[in-house]
Amino acid sequence: MTVLNSRKALKPAPGEGTTAARARRRNGTSDGMMRVYQLVLAAVVLGAWELLGRAGIIDEFFFPLPSDILATVWSWISTGYVFPHLWITMQEALLAFAVGTAAGLFLGFLLARVRFLERLFDPFLQMFNALPRVVLAPIFLLWFGLGIWSKVAFGFTLVFFIVFFNTLEGVKNVDRVLVDNARMLGASEKQLLRHVFIPSALTWIFSSLHISVGFAITGAVVGEYLGASAGVGYAIAQAQGVFDTQGVFAGMFILMIVVLIIDLLVNRLERYLLRWRPVQSS
Amino acid sequence: MTLSSAGTPTQYAVELQGCTKQFSTPGGGTYFAVRDIDLKVEPGRFVSIVGPTGSGKSTILNMAAGLLKPSSGTASSFGAPVHGVNRRASYMFQQDALLPWKTVIENVSLGLTMAGVGKAEAHSEAQRWLEKVGLKNFADRYPHQLSGGMRKRTAVAQAWIVNPDILLMDEPFSALDVQTRQIMENELLALWQESGKAVVFITHDLDEAIALSDEVVILGAGPGSTVVGNYEITIPRPRDLLDIRDDPKFVELHREIWGRLKIEVSKTYEAARAEEGEVA
Repeated sequence: MTVLNSRKALKPAPGEGTTAARARRRNGTSDGMMRVYQLVLAAVVLGAWELLGRAGIIDEFFFPLPSDILATVWSWISTGYVFPHLWITMQEALLAFAVGTAAGLFLGFLLARVRFLERLFDPFLQMFNALPRVVLAPIFLLWFGLGIWSKVAFGFTLVFFIVFFNTLEGVKNVDRVLVDNARMLGASEKQLLRHVFIPSALTWIFSSLHISVGFAITGAVVGEYLGASAGVGYAIAQAQGVFDTQGVFAGMFILMIVVLIIDLLVNRLERYLLRWRPVQSS
Repeated sequence: MTLSSAGTPTQYAVELQGCTKQFSTPGGGTYFAVRDIDLKVEPGRFVSIVGPTGSGKSTILNMAAGLLKPSSGTASSFGAPVHGVNRRASYMFQQDALLPWKTVIENVSLGLTMAGVGKAEAHSEAQRWLEKVGLKNFADRYPHQLSGGMRKRTAVAQAWIVNPDILLMDEPFSALDVQTRQIMENELLALWQESGKAVVFITHDLDEAIALSDEVVILGAGPGSTVVGNYEITIPRPRDLLDIRDDPKFVELHREIWGRLKIEVSKTYEAARAEEGEVA
């Protein structure tokens, strides 16, 4: 099982996008030129793959030609074959994401604010978190059946812990002075939450959002792969069942693009909600 | 040493009686931050607390604010014991305490909006305060876009807008450069004059304390420090802070109080050296 989007798993990197952009510029290469280089690199790698495949040096059965993969992707899209599957997967991922995030946020805030509960639940949460989640998939399949709910439950267990631990840390790491200041200005517990804790935890929550979006989709796809009647994971499993490696790669490619688009949207939202943050200057 | 002889008001804006604050250390011991603090601040008076590093100045202020509960002794404000935060006081912190995710005007109006004042009304009042502190064109900036001095002005407006009876200030200008600091001190005095508010001002800078205050309280060396001196500052008001350091009265008071403070500062220094010696 792979984490689709694990490079953002670490603690919040303030102003990640902007620093990256600046660093690039500092190195003397403009953003536009870097795009060109990136395209060249991709073209070289794919071209080499294609040529080596056509020359028979790498086995076309295990590594289908990029042109064939693209053709399969196109046929899946043009015939509309992939869309019902994609829709199912997205539904599962969205539900897992929504429920997991809501529960993670709620429990994260609650435990961060009530020390007794944090100490009470801590060992149990650690235990559940230590469990490799994929082993839950079969049991969820038994409990919730082949439909979407077994995948939602599976995705939930992945999303929940990420959001929960990040929220807990985020709320606990709020600057003491900000809290004291707000209290001196007359903030009630509810107002503290709204004006201080939630905005302050937002950087942590966003770093968890990036990865939990990936996890929600991972959960859905892995769940489908293990047993389903629809979904992209199911489509990939079907293709594999008939040794259609082109189909497997096509499914991977489509998932990759979808996750990239979603991540882009999360980035947009993050940039808007965290617009108060100073641009990191080096 | 002279104590306020007025004696008439029985209700002090801030009154600490025999306040001790102790913390238990990880090693199982007890650490006394301050011991047996008696402090009385009449309404409308400007009182500074000066002491060497680690003498528990902020602890005293936090007890007056209700952010810390004294381990023993009582903290009261206008005759009523302080439970939870002191609702009649505003606090200016040494560090930046503006909410970085709120614009200047949102920060300034925060005290009002949290008290239930409508947003439009709170913002127009905040705008009035921003004009007063010279920031009317910066209402929509975020704190990180301001200079240190501008952030302090914002903090002043944020603290004053709720019209508190007491202002607790914990080395509010210590992070500023000397010139900006003198300007800020002058502006603070101008605001405070005739406002009838009591001010408890913490500083380690004796010049600043004498220049601003009606009364200077000297704390002994920590840990477990207590009040060791209490000086009435009789320099007439209004004062011009830019020239006050040449005033003969200022010089005389400074010599007298520094004579006392010096002893405590040396104690702190000796203690720090002894500790270093132990470690080495």
